[in-house]
Amino acid sequence: MYDAIVVGGRCAGASTALLLARQGHRVLVVDRSSFPSDVISTHFLWPHGMSYLNRWGLLDQVTAVTPTHTVIDIVNDGIPLSGSVPTSLLREHFRDLHGDDSGVVQSYASVRRRVLDQILVEAAAKAGAEVRTHCTVRELITEDGRVVGVRGRAADGQEFEERARIVVGADGRNSFVARTLDLPRFDERPRCTFAYWSYWSGFDPGRGQIHRRGRLGCAVVPTNFGQNMVLVWGPSEWAREFRADVPGNVQRALDFVSPELGELVRTQGTREERIYGTLDQSGFLRPLHGPGWVLVGDAESAKDQCTAIGMTHAFRDAELASAALHRWLTGESSLDEAMAAYEGRRRSQNSAAYYDYVCTLSEMRPYRHDELQLFVALRGNQEETDRFIATHADIAPVSEFFQASNLFLLNDAAKESSAGYSVFDDFAATSRTYQQNLFA
Amino acid sequence: MPHQGAETVTSTDLHQRDDGELIEAILDAAGRGDVETMAREAAEVSEMTRNWATHIPWDDLATLDASGADGELARVVADLTEMWEPAHLRNPVDPDEEYALDKNAYDFYRPAGRDLLARTEDFYDWVQARRRTETWQYSRVLEAAPDSVAEITNDLGKRTRGINFNSQDYLSFNTHPAIREAAVRAMRDYGPHSAGSPMVLGNTRISDELEVALGELVGLEHVTLFPTGWSAGFGAIVGLVRQSDHVVIDRLAHSCLQQGARAATRNVVRYEHLNVEAVRQHLADIRSHDSRNGILVVTDGLFSVDADWPDLVTLQRVCREHDATLLVDVAHDLGSMGPGGTGVLGMQNLLGEIDIVMGAFSKTFCSNGGFVASRSPALKQYVKMFSNSHFFSNALSPVQTAVVREAARIIRSPEGDELRARLFTAIHALRDELTGRGLTCMGEPSPIVPLLIGNEKLARTANRLLFDRGVLAFMVEFPVTPTGSSRFRLQVQAGHRPEEAREAARIIEGAIADSRAYLSSAFGSAAR
Ligand SMILES: Cc1cc2nc3c(=O)[nH]c(=O)nc-3n(C[C@H](O)[C@H](O)[C@H](O)COP(=O)(O)OP(=O)(O)OC[C@H]3O[C@@H](n4cnc5c(N)ncnc54)[C@H](O)[C@@H]3O)c2cc1C
Repeated sequence: MYDAIVVGGRCAGASTALLLARQGHRVLVVDRSSFPSDVISTHFLWPHGMSYLNRWGLLDQVTAVTPTHTVIDIVNDGIPLSGSVPTSLLREHFRDLHGDDSGVVQSYASVRRRVLDQILVEAAAKAGAEVRTHCTVRELITEDGRVVGVRGRAADGQEFEERARIVVGADGRNSFVARTLDLPRFDERPRCTFAYWSYWSGFDPGRGQIHRRGRLGCAVVPTNFGQNMVLVWGPSEWAREFRADVPGNVQRALDFVSPELGELVRTQGTREERIYGTLDQSGFLRPLHGPGWVLVGDAESAKDQCTAIGMTHAFRDAELASAALHRWLTGESSLDEAMAAYEGRRRSQNSAAYYDYVCTLSEMRPYRHDELQLFVALRGNQEETDRFIATHADIAPVSEFFQASNLFLLNDAAKESSAGYSVFDDFAATSRTYQQNLFA
Repeated sequence: MPHQGAETVTSTDLHQRDDGELIEAILDAAGRGDVETMAREAAEVSEMTRNWATHIPWDDLATLDASGADGELARVVADLTEMWEPAHLRNPVDPDEEYALDKNAYDFYRPAGRDLLARTEDFYDWVQARRRTETWQYSRVLEAAPDSVAEITNDLGKRTRGINFNSQDYLSFNTHPAIREAAVRAMRDYGPHSAGSPMVLGNTRISDELEVALGELVGLEHVTLFPTGWSAGFGAIVGLVRQSDHVVIDRLAHSCLQQGARAATRNVVRYEHLNVEAVRQHLADIRSHDSRNGILVVTDGLFSVDADWPDLVTLQRVCREHDATLLVDVAHDLGSMGPGGTGVLGMQNLLGEIDIVMGAFSKTFCSNGGFVASRSPALKQYVKMFSNSHFFSNALSPVQTAVVREAARIIRSPEGDELRARLFTAIHALRDELTGRGLTCMGEPSPIVPLLIGNEKLARTANRLLFDRGVLAFMVEFPVTPTGSSRFRLQVQAGHRPEEAREAARIIEGAIADSRAYLSSAFGSAAR
């Protein structure tokens, strides 16, 4: 009999297991994959994601093999902004969410999942959790309507059965636990992006860059093994045409969104792996908990990759859920109280506003005139640029940046005008061309 | 260390097909019932996708029943199709509704193009979508004098009758005989009278009397009247503050104050709502590099969409410590709460103690108009001359002035205490019933009861239902509130019976629950 069985052993699962085990609870974590291995993700970690790793004492292992930076470039229709997330906002974020602000770092990184998830799984084992990989849960054991354990098949092909006081579903977007419990999906946002990416060596982009033009985006971030993760994305309704020639269209998209990056990749880049992609990224929420079970990570809420936040959110869930479970397991609170606290955080106004922000962004509508003007107004206003980046990454609340009095002040404080940016020359005509599928 | 150097990179074939192509091939084979080919194609699917799409039996496709008899094949096809076909193309939604619910007004704040007329069209398209979907909360009109119940028409011409939390008439003066009588008398004595600026000959004897009455109410004897509350707030700031001065303003202060600050100077600091400590820091900051220029600190008394108020005792002290001047907007609390109707100032024992007080008559005093008050005759003359919204506006009319004067009289009389007692009975009934039903009322008991919703879509949908179910409430969303923190602003009147308030709360709860179900939304409304 375990205190907790965690199904899924990556960002959400291994972290939850690690935190519970460190607090002295008996934890079993099972994952059908073997490690090290990859999973779909472009694996960018914003500073709060890195801060979680630091809080758990794992950051050094990651940074020993992964390049990190603090300043990031964000270029929208040729309007460049650069900035970093201020420590003060990071601290506030952790205080608000977790009640303590230790361990914040300002750096970001792109960490291959084969690297990161292995570190997490090893740390969970070291903390005392029992880790079984290549081990698939195929059934939930329920008694009197309550989940009390799992059955499945282990690496050696043997069937196994284990019981616990709680089963944690950390098994990703396509969660087995959620499917088996027949959980509904809430707040569905079907519009989303398609994303294609791979790994290139042979050039140095300096630091992370995110570009947008029209309905397309691209990004490059230095990652492990001396390579760069290069990603393009666009509205999912363009995916069919994109798929007609994936390598050609990756290059076409790069050339369109950022001719400089396109040129760099074409002339100096060597692709090291096949191209990966998906368009299955629509947003939804699931019920968070029920009798004998609780969900964390993508299993409880999946959304588009366009703000590169899912792993960091999985870490957040791990801290919130393990703290709640700890209170219950030690008898400090009832399970209902503990879960209500977790739910309060996860289904709050701030989360709703950020969810809306991501889902709306993932429709990949061309930036409107006023949005682009806002980017112009931010130029030279470092404090607000940094706050915008923090807002985009779900570190500062959406409601604090996108507030009328703030936006008016930004306008008034603008140092630059739109005169220098060609996108404003004939904006209406440019917007119309943006609506055409580049790959048709 | 398991991961150092490039040698740990698994060598995948560069020219392997991407997963999309493979899934297409698998689906193709599935259509022919060819499970062998399905399995062969699946073997090439990347580790990335296998570890992610864990619900697809990638390794067991060959064992599927090709006849489809057990439904397994169909399930796999459905799951794979989800990974292949854009979700919104599979489940189309009503485009009007999607458009109406997904945008907000600020999206149209900076339209493109040099044709000022033509570029308003995009916004209008959106307004039309909001109207068609009956989610446009603005520009409703009354069919008769509003009371605790009102009959209104929305801007599509649809009529309804409902318990009215949509009017701001906190002491129900609109139907008060003495108020109506005062209006009639002024009309008889002075006529409609629109004779220009108060700086010339716009004012009457009643204006002087009103200034005295207001001076007594707030304990600051030098009062200037303005034709609207908005112009009083705007005018007070632009009248006093010059370009090298500073304004330190609560980030949620009323629009007229924010706009006044922007118009007066570029040195505007917005501080965290109600945070006096933040004000202290900003003031120290400013004073550390600027000892020459003025600083105006600006706040509301009762905040009109949050129903809370600052610690004005400390705030005024902090201002004095830094040679800053405090301006408080008492539009919503003066007359409707506090001892003798003295509002938040009286509740904090600050009558006569605040540097500058401004207010508006439209909430409790049953008329247009506003005022600025202080202890300084010099400030009064200065504001009259340099607040353009005073000098260059037509004066408050005699009828309006007389109504406000009579309202001020009642507010300070025992009848005023009685009306406020009735008002607060209704307020408590409403708040208790809403809270008892698990909803979140923000702020403190006051004539404004903000009912927190959060998500705009939920608020817009609930608003549509409320209109049909007989509760009139104003839904506030961005830009009035920050993105993602929309709410209903319920404005209570002395004329509301407690039972009416409870009935309204029941209807509101039902509308919110039904909207949440309609949108299938799991979000609650806790702040963080
Ligand atoms: C295209 C794309 C790009 C992305 N880019 C980023 C990015 O740049 N940054 C970022 O932060 N996020 C990104 N994300 C999101 C991120 O990848 C996810 O949010 C994150 O992987 C979620 O972690 P998790 O632990 O909840 O689930 P997963 O990482 O999906 O892990 C779930 C685990 O559960 C296991 N499992 C499933 N079923 C069973 C079972 N029955 N028995 C045992 N084990 C089981 C699986 O094998 C798997 O290992 C991206 C997502 C996509 C689709």
